[in-house]
Amino acid sequence: MKQRSLVIAYWATLILLALLGLWAIYLRTVVGLRVTNLTSLVPWGLWVAFYIYFIGLSAGAFLVSTMIYVFGLHRFEAIGRMALFTAFVALVTGLGFILLDLGHLERFWTVFINRSPTSVLEWEIHFYTLYAVILLAELWLLMRRDLIRVGQEPGLRGRLCRLLALRSTDLSDASAAADLRMVRILGTIGVPVAIAVHGGTGAIFAVVKARPYWYTGLFPLIFLVSALASGSALLTFLTAFFARRKDAEHAEMTLALGKLTVGFLAVDLIFLMSEMLVGWYGGIPDHVATYRAMMFGPFWYVFWIGQLGLGALVPLILILNRRTGRSVAWVGLAGALIVAGIFGVRLNIVIPPLTVPLQPGIDTAYPLGRVSSFALEGLGLMAFRLGLLLFTVAVAVLLAGLVRLPRAVPLRAAAALSAATVFTALVLINLRLADLAPATQANLLGPTSRVSALPLLFGGAVRSSDPSFYSPSMWEWLTSLGVLALAAIAFSLGWLWLPLERLPEPPAPQPRHFSGFSPARGSER
Amino acid sequence: MAQKRYGMAIDLRRCVGCEACTIACKQENHTPPGVAYAKVIKQEVGQYPHVRRTFLPILCNHCEHPPCVPVCPVGATWKRQEDGIVVVDYNICIGCRYCMTACPYGARTFDFGDDYNIPQNDFERQPSAEYGKAWPRNGGSPIGNVRKCHFCLHRVARGEEPACVLTCMPRARIFGDLNDPESEIARLVAERRHFRIKEELGTEPNVYYLL
Repeated sequence: MKQRSLVIAYWATLILLALLGLWAIYLRTVVGLRVTNLTSLVPWGLWVAFYIYFIGLSAGAFLVSTMIYVFGLHRFEAIGRMALFTAFVALVTGLGFILLDLGHLERFWTVFINRSPTSVLEWEIHFYTLYAVILLAELWLLMRRDLIRVGQEPGLRGRLCRLLALRSTDLSDASAAADLRMVRILGTIGVPVAIAVHGGTGAIFAVVKARPYWYTGLFPLIFLVSALASGSALLTFLTAFFARRKDAEHAEMTLALGKLTVGFLAVDLIFLMSEMLVGWYGGIPDHVATYRAMMFGPFWYVFWIGQLGLGALVPLILILNRRTGRSVAWVGLAGALIVAGIFGVRLNIVIPPLTVPLQPGIDTAYPLGRVSSFALEGLGLMAFRLGLLLFTVAVAVLLAGLVRLPRAVPLRAAAALSAATVFTALVLINLRLADLAPATQANLLGPTSRVSALPLLFGGAVRSSDPSFYSPSMWEWLTSLGVLALAAIAFSLGWLWLPLERLPEPPAPQPRHFSGFSPARGSER
Repeated sequence: MAQKRYGMAIDLRRCVGCEACTIACKQENHTPPGVAYAKVIKQEVGQYPHVRRTFLPILCNHCEHPPCVPVCPVGATWKRQEDGIVVVDYNICIGCRYCMTACPYGARTFDFGDDYNIPQNDFERQPSAEYGKAWPRNGGSPIGNVRKCHFCLHRVARGEEPACVLTCMPRARIFGDLNDPESEIARLVAERRHFRIKEELGTEPNVYYLL
């Protein structure tokens, strides 16, 4: 009974958030980028950070899957399909964010006809497309036999799987072996493509000589390593809490995945240290100013608390500590923390370098600072306030029930943490809306003091007269929340309906252990 | 016909920081809030009693090797072969703002769709004449596009000077063809001491500051 209400609460929250987000996305498409707090000084913000974050999660999860199917780390096999599916959902989410960020989103498809071979961004769009094809092909080949099997069941799930099996009916072992051979070939092609996907995303920034903080050869590599860290951390979290088969083997694999994540995280930290030491030692003004903005600016806590504390130090302790390191739940929580912490890394990649003026005085030469000049008015505003208030109360009730459910301490901690975050965010949106004024000339002409849209989460009660100050507008947050909720819904539906974990083999006449990546290996075990 | 290389020389000894260029540019191109092609950096140097205000008018440098051009994913911005002016095609630009992060001079601005007056006044309703076309402000391009100085290409095509040059009261701005050795700008650049901004990046700016 409790389980059931939990499921209802989960779906209700997600669907409501998605609806709220879809409404905000609709407004953004109608009103344009006027809804953002971006300026000509800081032209990239929250959405671009989310974009590189999700591309990184995708590339990381995919590279973990290649370890299984290309490099033969079979101990992680149970998460192989989950890794590929996660990679696909994350890729689509990332592309959704960059689509939102375009000034003319109806023209996005023209990158395929207006050729520009010198642009890293254009190369990336092509790599993303190729990468999506490889991901889907691999995932389908791995699930094919199980899709056919589930497709024989009645009901919605059966019908969906029957559709997805694409008329394939071959259940023989030989066909499965052929599938795995193909997966290995695709995975082998996929490795350089995935490196190009995220290393290349790093290169989008690294080729910009105007910003010394981005303009280093190490930058694309940092992208790759932090992608591996976030991807494997996400899989650790997912498999720790969402695997259906939880036995000794599962526990062992999850812990091993946690250890792998720590390895990637350590390399990531070493790279970060190298960049920072060289940057500070060199003392080039723009370079140092970027580090100053990142470490001691208004959003210092994204670096110290988010990126280094909760995103690195705490998970390192949780995984390496002898007691918590043996608990699947604690290691899973550590994975979740790293996934959240890497978002801090992404924010700090995009925003601080842009807040440094390109020439001394250029930021004050002309009023370039702006905040969103879009606001709801009259009835719309009242309806929105009321709806949000009701929504907040409903979520509070649901969350209160949710927090009391899990027995294990780390699970409780995780639930309480996420509940507190969601609730705080909602309360703050409500508070913020209380003083939402309609657009006036005053806030178009460069306001003298700007308050962050979501205190605590981003900017606290920071007031700034700095024209380069940027904190996302409420609309940027709401659309992001919506895309995140949609991604979570897509993932949950896949988890429910797709055979993302290998089904137990039917008893006869097949051999009990099907484990083969080629016929030769089938006899191993 | 010889290839032209349009450039500008700005005499810093003449500039008085009146910002007439900023205003003339805004009027000529009907630019909204937050969009400005010509700006003046004003700074104080020294301490009382030995203190001085410096003025540095900035605009797009129309670099020989513009870093903003190769990054565009749709080829919506390029350096014109015939006269070296770096232009943006508003009908192609998808508004990703990559070029804005790539420009070392902060010369590019984004049109977020803001207006000075709600509703727009008569002046704002008039279309901008950039690139020899009419760009009304009614939701479509150039809203959602990156906008930048184009040396008033539509005026240059008619044989006129850019608006900022025409309006400059102390005649601090000199516009012309750097490839023509007889032009005033080529002579000034050859004779006077000058600098260009961030020359170390290898962008070869075509805006010269005379000292």
